[in-house]
Amino acid sequence: MTAPHYPAGTVRALLPTAHVSDATRAALQQRLDAPADYVPQFLAPETFALLEAVAACLFPQPDRPEQPIPLAPSVDQRLLEGRSDGWRYDALPPDREAYRLGLGGIQEIAQALFGQDFERLDAGQQGQVVGALAGGNPPGTTWQTLNADRFFEEMLAELTTIYYAHPLAQEEIGYVGMADLPAWTKIGLNEKEAREVPMSE
Amino acid sequence: MPDEEVLEEGVLNPVQPEIQDPLLRELMADAPATAPALEVPQEKAQPTTAPLEEVDCVVIGLGAGGAPLLARLAQAGLKVVALEAGPWHNPEKDFATDEQAQDFLFWNDERLSAGGDPLAMGKNNSGTGVGGSTLHYTAYTPRPLPDDLHIKRDFGKGEDWPLTYDDLAPYYEEVEQFLGVSGPTPYPWGPSRPKGYALAPLPLNSAAQLMVRGAEKIGIRTSPAPNAALSARYYQEGVGWREACTNRGFCQAGCSNGAKASMDVTFIPLAVKYGAEIRPNSFVTEIERNAQGLITAVVYTQNGQQYRQPCRNLFLCGGSVETPRLLLMNELALSSGQVGHNLMAHPGVQVWGTFADEVRPNKGIPGGLISQDTHRPKDADFAGGYLLQSIGVMPVTFAGQVARGRKMWGQPLRDYMRNFNHIAGINILGDCMPHTSNYLELSDELDARQLPKPRLHFTAQENEHRMNAHAERIMRDIWEAAGATDIWAFNRYAHVIGTARMGLSGDDAVVDRDGRAFDVPNLYISDNSTFPSALSVNPALTIMALSLRTADKFLEREMRRDA
Repeated sequence: MTAPHYPAGTVRALLPTAHVSDATRAALQQRLDAPADYVPQFLAPETFALLEAVAACLFPQPDRPEQPIPLAPSVDQRLLEGRSDGWRYDALPPDREAYRLGLGGIQEIAQALFGQDFERLDAGQQGQVVGALAGGNPPGTTWQTLNADRFFEEMLAELTTIYYAHPLAQEEIGYVGMADLPAWTKIGLNEKEAREVPMSE
Repeated sequence: MPDEEVLEEGVLNPVQPEIQDPLLRELMADAPATAPALEVPQEKAQPTTAPLEEVDCVVIGLGAGGAPLLARLAQAGLKVVALEAGPWHNPEKDFATDEQAQDFLFWNDERLSAGGDPLAMGKNNSGTGVGGSTLHYTAYTPRPLPDDLHIKRDFGKGEDWPLTYDDLAPYYEEVEQFLGVSGPTPYPWGPSRPKGYALAPLPLNSAAQLMVRGAEKIGIRTSPAPNAALSARYYQEGVGWREACTNRGFCQAGCSNGAKASMDVTFIPLAVKYGAEIRPNSFVTEIERNAQGLITAVVYTQNGQQYRQPCRNLFLCGGSVETPRLLLMNELALSSGQVGHNLMAHPGVQVWGTFADEVRPNKGIPGGLISQDTHRPKDADFAGGYLLQSIGVMPVTFAGQVARGRKMWGQPLRDYMRNFNHIAGINILGDCMPHTSNYLELSDELDARQLPKPRLHFTAQENEHRMNAHAERIMRDIWEAAGATDIWAFNRYAHVIGTARMGLSGDDAVVDRDGRAFDVPNLYISDNSTFPSALSVNPALTIMALSLRTADKFLEREMRRDA
């Protein structure tokens, strides 16, 4: 089946209502209110710009030309604070080092394939660079010591988590699970409450 | 629930609790002073604050292993102190219906995952806070079937438990009744039971209904699952009335209304009522011993201050990573050579499909439906077996698995994720055999506390591969019969088990059947590290049952010593 489309604005309309708890509202509103002009605090400006370009390739957002869901700032913040998600592939170096090496390695792939920096490539070429990385055997000296598979998986998983934690991404997939007060009573197949939005026709 | 400030001032437990049991009262009165001060000199990082008074028992860790025995020991009138590394939450106020905001429930100090099938930790496999990982467990509470405990007897592989199902059955019943487990009566698999589940089953959500539809067509029996979330209000000693589940579906990111029987709304309030003292944010680093090798005190850090808590007995309940880590760091109870070894993890392959029906998989308890028809499949080419369960899912968790499991990215990932409301899953939970290549060790890399990070080696072996293949085939059949398209499998392992196993002899086990360390008579271990085999069911119920049994055996021994 073709994937459904959902109307915009659904989560934002529910946030102020009594269906959403204070703690839940605070978490989601904070992501909506994040300033668009984030200044990197851990990554060097050019490295941060590269991460942004890679993130835009992994999550192309042509539907949000003015204000895409920001992905790179959360990574920069996490690396700055030294936070972890509780585990790391032993095959990879510590996260800060892995990102530093891995982003350099992506630049290496871009140079090897197209003789250009990643940010200067068109979308199709960027896709090929990321494709080479995702394929697990990309060109470049970096990837002789850094496990390409694991690095790509970790970076993709982190950016994916950041993307789908955002209220706009949740609107995109028709998810309104945050509006769970006082209860869900219609939980069976093809059942939904009035506050659960149907897909667009 | 008291907040930390109140706890630190000791207001919660200002008086010496009265010892209720006459025998124990005598015992405590006659208890010999602790062994003469022949302490092995130990280096201490920094001077500790004012010395604390000796207590009967210190319990480290307040998850499914620590909380039940804490309540039992307090009820017996002992002076008990619990040290929990994480904070004490107020779920109603603090818990958001948002996966990312709930990350604080996981043990986020980094663990290193090595081997051919590195174990995902963090949200997959760990917990912290008063309640431990029960704060985010699915609350799936099936009992093992009797032959689960005798895998070696039946297959010549793995390890047998030094206990039988009958040893544990009364404790299963007690835990089920106390927590208010919702489930089917009679339960379709296993021996008949004197008592049914405390409450009727929870309602089936879409994923469960779809699994019924598919399983019926291919001749697999299913049943609503036993789950420790309340299908109706339930009276809880020490708490009062707990309200019924509101179908939030966020069990794995923390229950905000107390319907799910995490330890913080069940055994811990009971323990507090009987005088147990809870010290949250207390990270244990050292375990002190005297010349006889008996434990005399634990050293811990709370809010930047170091404390030394003298104790007569220690109950180590930190789970299969922190328990062996503490033993290894303190060179404690290592003579069997088994600490850190026999690390097991449940095969937990998930099979996902897309349905034309509207599923909205975030609603209702995630694990609504169970089948144990695959416990000992007739056509199996492997030892042991597995159970099947339907799975609901939250969007961020699901998206992360799509990224890792399908390696989708770019527009295809965004397109696939727009099917979220039409996705449903089934997974298995299968037995796992111990293997020499699967173990935990201390690495050379230090964490923020300047302690060695644990490294977990895990490589699935032939038996796990065969079981996964068998299970994936069956789950694909179920989903095809139910009408799913775009079916895919996500290979995963959940629950870290083993690493300090129980057994009959100190030659090849760390603790005996009562959880008592062979090397250290006043050390008990109560958590999933003591499991000799993984069992083909979710571990929490068995951890709690063993915890109560360990407390009872300890109390019996104390009384005997007195007599």
